[in-house]
Amino acid sequence: MTWSLNEIEALSRKAARGAGLSWGLAEEAGKAARWLVAQGLPGPQVLADLLTRNDGKDYETLCPHDDDGGHWTARGGTLCPLISGAALCDHASRLAAGEALHLGRTASPMLLLPYLDAAARIAGREVTVSWAGVTLTCGTPDGMTTDMAPDLTADMVDAVSIHPGNRCDTDAIPPTTRGDIPETTARTLDAFAQRTYAPETEASRLAGAGAGLTDND
Amino acid sequence: MYQPDTQPIAPRHPDVVMRLDRLGSFHQSRVSFMRILLRRLQSDGWRFDRALFDIDARGVGRAVYTAHGPDRSYSLVAFANDLPPEKRSDRVIATEWDATFTLFDGVPDTADLDRLHANVPRQEAGRVSEKELSLSRANRSVRLWDHVVDSLASGQQPDAARVADVGYLMRTTAVYGSGKFGAADREQTADRPECQAPFQIEMLSVYLTRAFVMDLVEHMARMRAPDTAVPLDPDLRRRFGIGNSTGLGMAPFLVTHPALLNNWIATREEALARIRSLPRATADEADTLRRFAIRAHIHAGDWQSDHPVQIAKLDALRADMAALLAHLDTADLQTDQPWNRLWLWAEGALSLEGQELLASLLLEPYPRLVDPLACCMAADETATWRIDGAMRTDRLRALMQDIYGWALGIDWTSPAAQARVWYTSEAKLEPRLGERFDEPIEPYEQPLCPGRDAARLWADLAEAPDDTVAGFLMRHPQHRHIVRRAQIAARLPYAEIRDNTIDAAMMPIDMLRLKLSFFGACHFDPRSDRWLRINMYQHAPFPHELGDRSGDDWAYPFLATAAE
Repeated sequence: MTWSLNEIEALSRKAARGAGLSWGLAEEAGKAARWLVAQGLPGPQVLADLLTRNDGKDYETLCPHDDDGGHWTARGGTLCPLISGAALCDHASRLAAGEALHLGRTASPMLLLPYLDAAARIAGREVTVSWAGVTLTCGTPDGMTTDMAPDLTADMVDAVSIHPGNRCDTDAIPPTTRGDIPETTARTLDAFAQRTYAPETEASRLAGAGAGLTDND
Repeated sequence: MYQPDTQPIAPRHPDVVMRLDRLGSFHQSRVSFMRILLRRLQSDGWRFDRALFDIDARGVGRAVYTAHGPDRSYSLVAFANDLPPEKRSDRVIATEWDATFTLFDGVPDTADLDRLHANVPRQEAGRVSEKELSLSRANRSVRLWDHVVDSLASGQQPDAARVADVGYLMRTTAVYGSGKFGAADREQTADRPECQAPFQIEMLSVYLTRAFVMDLVEHMARMRAPDTAVPLDPDLRRRFGIGNSTGLGMAPFLVTHPALLNNWIATREEALARIRSLPRATADEADTLRRFAIRAHIHAGDWQSDHPVQIAKLDALRADMAALLAHLDTADLQTDQPWNRLWLWAEGALSLEGQELLASLLLEPYPRLVDPLACCMAADETATWRIDGAMRTDRLRALMQDIYGWALGIDWTSPAAQARVWYTSEAKLEPRLGERFDEPIEPYEQPLCPGRDAARLWADLAEAPDDTVAGFLMRHPQHRHIVRRAQIAARLPYAEIRDNTIDAAMMPIDMLRLKLSFFGACHFDPRSDRWLRINMYQHAPFPHELGDRSGDDWAYPFLATAAE
């Protein structure tokens, strides 16, 4: 059984929201998981793992603080790639201007890639990202080349550096495909997603959808 | 080409158009998705066949209807069921239906049919694949179904008045598309010409469903009384549309697809502005408008509802149509920007129902001006989706005032202003609307109240130092979704409903009607403030009649002396 990319995005979005991210960040987390699956990468698995590890942690401890011109660190010690990724994308103009950005200890850095791909396209420049054992260029005309090194799915790295590169003006051509999610991953994401659903009550069943009349007419 | 000697009229302002009471008064038009579909099926000479119809005397079995286009074929796979009455529910929480369907991408083989037989009748509890493009189901209108089978079996035609009263034999209760329950994502088909306009797959599925339902009712009569049964008279047969019962699930879609909503509204507004700008009209064009207005008047007379709000709106609409016809009798419809003058008259003389019906009617005489705009109605949400973090917060403030001025003036501490909560229930993930101050549902609130969220953002922006949006959002992640919406609406003026979607007096059916009118639905019949029934494809030619009858001119009842 395969999943449609829309299903993967929706499940990931709801799971991110259920895990406590704001709606805007959760929307982007859904798109990120979808983008990774379309690249053949295990986005939902890494997302499920990240959400489990960060469950219950405050935004303030996970978000980047730019204390030292272009060096981002988290007060809690480890940056969340979903928050940092969104912020990197928001700061694409700094990459466009040629500025390099450096992240301190970061969880699940693979989740940064969809955001950096978008940032490269906004900035109009290729963006090279590297962490221990991995160097990748986002925004190239052929899309990203990934060889699934084990380090790609690392659950924690000490540093990530992001350097703007050559000019690029290619539109993203998203590979349309299907995805596969291991059952344990789907269960984990679904458990987070369930937190966004209101428990069923008879009153809400009748009033909430405004029905209750006969349909035998 | 002549040089216009008059000023072009600008499209209406979003503050005027995007109010729920006006959006909830929209009608189908030349750019409705059903009409776009049938025009294409006709102009491209699509062929149709019924490859399988294997249904027993109890009405149980399966059928396949295939539409063959220039490049590809699409097949409606139908499973008919013998449903006990106690299980017949139009709610999304139902588990069995009179008939279930999928639109298959191509022509299914027996293995496909067996796989689908194990899944499609279970709907949300089953699973389809990338070979399937939609998933849907329908229930009988029992009172009309029984009457039609009884009549045909005894060799009689059904009573035309009873047919008119209900208007359809089955109503669909959900039509799922893009990627739902394993089906193909829209991205898989979006670059095909026949799928370019929005919802063409869903509209094709419903169009073939109507053909199946009419075949089924005649088949049931034949099975019951092979010696006496007769088929429906072709003219009476076309008076059956296919019903649809729609609940709250449709409303969130409009909020979560801002670029798409913009493109629908912008297309219709552009068409209206072009026509209002015309310096003069020919006698033929004026006659066409008059003829369509008469047909629309008949249509308004045929439109039944038991809901007090809709009854009042229908009374107003019928009065509007009488006033319009009287005005058209004497008005100069040919010189001095005739349609703009007519429009300005209507703004003062007609209710919102009548004004918006006139907006649709004005498109009818101008297929060459209007129909090519249909290609602008699809949207790539991703093109405007990323936040522009380099924007300064003072620019964002200015945008907020421009787009959400209506919301910044609301007193959000008043309980009535945020009386409602949009949430998702555990049961089949059904979208619902609850009372914030009576039910423990606030923690589950969905972000479907842009006005309230804009006011919250506005308050924090007032306190914030001048900064980039990127810097502001780093400190205020809770505003991220509404900043995105504001930036989208800054580029796409009709992207946002400019009204309070959680107000105590808000009518969700206004949002449903907006969407359904773009589908091309008619006879909106609210059953409460949050679900309604409609009719689709009434009077339209059946697949085997396309070519002999117009695929475009069927959306209003025909005049007795004219097209029939």
